Amino acid sequence: MDENVIKVENLVKYFDGRCVLDGISLNVPRGCIYGLLGRNGSGKTTIIRILLGLEPPTRGRTFLLDTESTELSAKVHGRIGYVAEGHNLIQNYRVGRLIKLCKDLSLQWNDEFFNHLIETFRLPTDRRVKELSIGMRAQLNLSLAMAIDPELLIFDDPTLGLDTVARRQFLELAIELIAQQGRTILFCSHILGDVERIADKIGILAAGKLVVDCPLEELKERVKKLRVIFPESAPSNLYLTEIINQQVRDREMVITVANWNKQKQTVLETFKPSSCTEMPMSLEDIFIECTKPKQKSIES
Amino acid sequence: MFALIKREIQDHIVYFIGAAAFSAVFIIISVSLVHQYDPKEPPVFSIGLGVPAATIVIFGICAMGATQMYLDRTRKISALLSTLAVSRNRILLTRVITGILVILILFVPLTITAGILVRLFSPPIPVFTGMVFEISVTAFLMAFAIYCIGLQTGWNSSALTPSLGALFLTCIFIPLILIKGFGAHIVVILVLFIAASLIRTWHTFMKTSL
Repeated sequence: MDENVIKVENLVKYFDGRCVLDGISLNVPRGCIYGLLGRNGSGKTTIIRILLGLEPPTRGRTFLLDTESTELSAKVHGRIGYVAEGHNLIQNYRVGRLIKLCKDLSLQWNDEFFNHLIETFRLPTDRRVKELSIGMRAQLNLSLAMAIDPELLIFDDPTLGLDTVARRQFLELAIELIAQQGRTILFCSHILGDVERIADKIGILAAGKLVVDCPLEELKERVKKLRVIFPESAPSNLYLTEIINQQVRDREMVITVANWNKQKQTVLETFKPSSCTEMPMSLEDIFIECTKPKQKSIES
Repeated sequence: MFALIKREIQDHIVYFIGAAAFSAVFIIISVSLVHQYDPKEPPVFSIGLGVPAATIVIFGICAMGATQMYLDRTRKISALLSTLAVSRNRILLTRVITGILVILILFVPLTITAGILVRLFSPPIPVFTGMVFEISVTAFLMAFAIYCIGLQTGWNSSALTPSLGALFLTCIFIPLILIKGFGAHIVVILVLFIAASLIRTWHTFMKTSL
């Protein structure tokens, strides 16, 4: 059995002649929480849909639980929990009926855990899905995905529409789930603070490419934002490789560099800067720097 | 599988009720017509009743196939179901089974009634029983073919291909029935048409994004 629960090999996807995914390759090992980030329209949802076999790829191959996505059987689907962006639930069904349908169609169903979630979220089972608020729909979708005790959970912006308390509850639940051995989570979100809290590994999509694919701690370690002051005006070129972003104003230069190491530091010192201070970067800062145009790859 | 069939039946219960009601009404009318049958009078009323009845059946069955696929497409039902422990093959299979059930509910009581009426009111010649069987099989297959056209119409945003299919079916069958009558030749052509239609629907359903 392969150690990677999710495998994406050179994935390419075109929509009406427009390239949305351009040669994406990534692996998610068993037990890992992988945070996939990207701006709107960067292709996060498309990757997930291709992984689940809902969308055919233009080129490349994707695998979930050792099975190619285009050939996922009912049994494999039964081991995957999915919370879709916008919560694709059957809108005209009553909540109770939808729950029964999902229960009847699942391979295993944890009644105790599901009832606990329904009570925690205070979901009404007698109302139609379309009558629920977006937040309630998110909670219902989440509860349905969790109830099947999945080996792999795929969350496409799961906290979208949830209030702060419900979002916190969800994150704690996700952490509780990951504590159970062998469970893997692929997590897409716009709320970077959420991803930062729970993810082990980060992938950042920009312009159809995976510009970052490494563990979160390593990413923070390797991407540095430096404020450099030169005695005279700042040089136009520092001859450093992998500069993600560079801003120059008179003597001051602010640069974001990937894979910062001693060699790069030596190169910078040859310009004899008056001062060089490291600016602290959160995941959000790294994300913003990486998704600006002209980005370099940071892969482990 | 049963959960999926149950869901399809619940979602399209109106067609099941419609088929049962239509079948019951038609049985009552057929019995009363046979009861008051006068061989000297031309069967104007029977023909006058048969044409609109056939039209309702054709539209009803086609509408069912189209509704099943259209609602799936617009409500993203398969998109949800295929993320559960269900394959696309199974979703389509249960849909077709439900369609067949509706057609059976419509035709089985009518066939049984026709069989009984033929036994009671026609001369005891085996040719009549054979005719009832041939007509029933042809009617069932035609209804199923129309249902298949409905499935394709509901899934495609363009209705051109299914419309051409329907036109082809009409152009072939009406002259064939009028010239040669019911028989094995029609059954063979219908089975081929149904197979081609189902393969096309299956291929489209399997390949498109949900």
